[in-house]
Amino acid sequence: MTALIAFDGVSLGYGRRAVLTDLSFEIPEGDFLGLVGPNGAGKTTILRAILGSLSPMSGAITRAEGLRFGYVPQRDQVDYNFPLKVLDVVLMGRYDRIGLARRPAARDRELALAALDHVGIAQLANEALSALSGGQRQRALIARALVGKPNLLVLDEPTNGMDLLSTTQILGLVRELHERDGLTVLMVSHALNEVANYVRRIALVQEGAFRVGAVDEVLTEETLGEMYGIPVEVDISGDHRTVFVRRESAMAVSDDV
Amino acid sequence: MFDSVLLFREALYGALVIAVACSTLGVYVVLRRIVFVGAALAELSSAGLALGLWLAGIGVASTLTTHPVALSVAVTLGGALFFGMSGARSRIPADATIGVVYAVAAAVGILLIAKAKTGEAHDIFLQGNILGITHSDTMVLVAVTVPVLLVHLVFFKEFVFVSFDRETARTLGYNVVFWNLLLYLTIGLVIAFAMQFAGVMLVFDFLVLPAVTGMLLSRSMAGMFAWAVASGLLAALAGFSLSVPFDLPSGPAIITVSGVIVFVAWLFRRR
Repeated sequence: MTALIAFDGVSLGYGRRAVLTDLSFEIPEGDFLGLVGPNGAGKTTILRAILGSLSPMSGAITRAEGLRFGYVPQRDQVDYNFPLKVLDVVLMGRYDRIGLARRPAARDRELALAALDHVGIAQLANEALSALSGGQRQRALIARALVGKPNLLVLDEPTNGMDLLSTTQILGLVRELHERDGLTVLMVSHALNEVANYVRRIALVQEGAFRVGAVDEVLTEETLGEMYGIPVEVDISGDHRTVFVRRESAMAVSDDV
Repeated sequence: MFDSVLLFREALYGALVIAVACSTLGVYVVLRRIVFVGAALAELSSAGLALGLWLAGIGVASTLTTHPVALSVAVTLGGALFFGMSGARSRIPADATIGVVYAVAAAVGILLIAKAKTGEAHDIFLQGNILGITHSDTMVLVAVTVPVLLVHLVFFKEFVFVSFDRETARTLGYNVVFWNLLLYLTIGLVIAFAMQFAGVMLVFDFLVLPAVTGMLLSRSMAGMFAWAVASGLLAALAGFSLSVPFDLPSGPAIITVSGVIVFVAWLFRRR
């Protein structure tokens, strides 16, 4: 498998302060990788390095030739005050192909409508983005990422603030895009239990520590306990995993707080 | 009534040009939630004007007496660069930085004017004097406004994209810093030239109120621009036309009409 992204001994940080050191991993073509960790652990730092908006302090990040990102930002990163229709937003995914100072053509609109159809909201093309529900907005942003024909779909906290049903639907859609279309996916999330049952591989980041591998390799009580520093249980039911902190440890943590 | 307005038609033309320029750029100012950047840039512009007059008064740069706008433009563009480059990761919140610039620029402007030899006579520059606009002033305003609006027309989709979602724009290869700077510089340029005729309060009005009207009445970017420009023109025309025969100060009259338009727009707002 060709590696779309390869980190080789990479250290990342801001100014002179290193946040993460000696990261080495790859995102091969066809992968579905979950980058998981609590808020402030360094997920966004790794994501920015992957997207190229943060240069490594040391080491090398190699990107495959012709690599094209389909980026789905966190929903609250987008300003819904802008009076934009869903179709206008999806068309933005083709702006770099359309070129500077040129307007979208009929072909671009066709592709944008097809992308909306692909994520199941073609009927909302002419609705205001601000009028959509959280799940519909997320679908619109995914359609925008898809319309540029990416070879790596990157989603930043795609289910943040969503109810259970919307979360399941969005994660199901992303898995479908991976399985049906063969799209390589990187999903960044703080919600380990949500990600664990959808991705193929998982990268855990916690207080400077980093561990990456297949889900059943990484999601073990030993590895998680070592990473998080507290006793953790992994409940496996069929092909479904649930990770939780042992009750007495959770109580102790709660008392400390 | 209209005869007296026609006596000041050059001033009216100038006010209409300022209304078009500021109302158009005001759409970005309001949508990006940087309305007080507009106010701070206007204060910087007036401080630059005051600096020019003070320097001329102490004999450092006598040509600035006849061209006080030169320093005003330089200082405003410097401020625009500063705001355009300010990073989200700064320890000081963005609105606090804007507040510091606003307060200091306003105070320094007043101090410099107080000590400028020609200060009292030129105090009107800082408050604005729409009625004093001449034909050549209007031509200067047109010469600044037309290129700025052309840039915004040509690169409409780029400005909207970078304003709406800068991170995604960055992943698609957009130089977000460049587009931000270009936006701020065009806003700064328009403010610097509009300020010397319209004053801080009226420029701030044109940057904010017409865009708010557009926001209330439209569901598309093109519609918001159209309503903003139309309401800015209406406010300038109606406010000016009422101020002359009733001997009212033009700036506050225009701002009051703008406020009435916003209220009417709120009554008929799209839900």
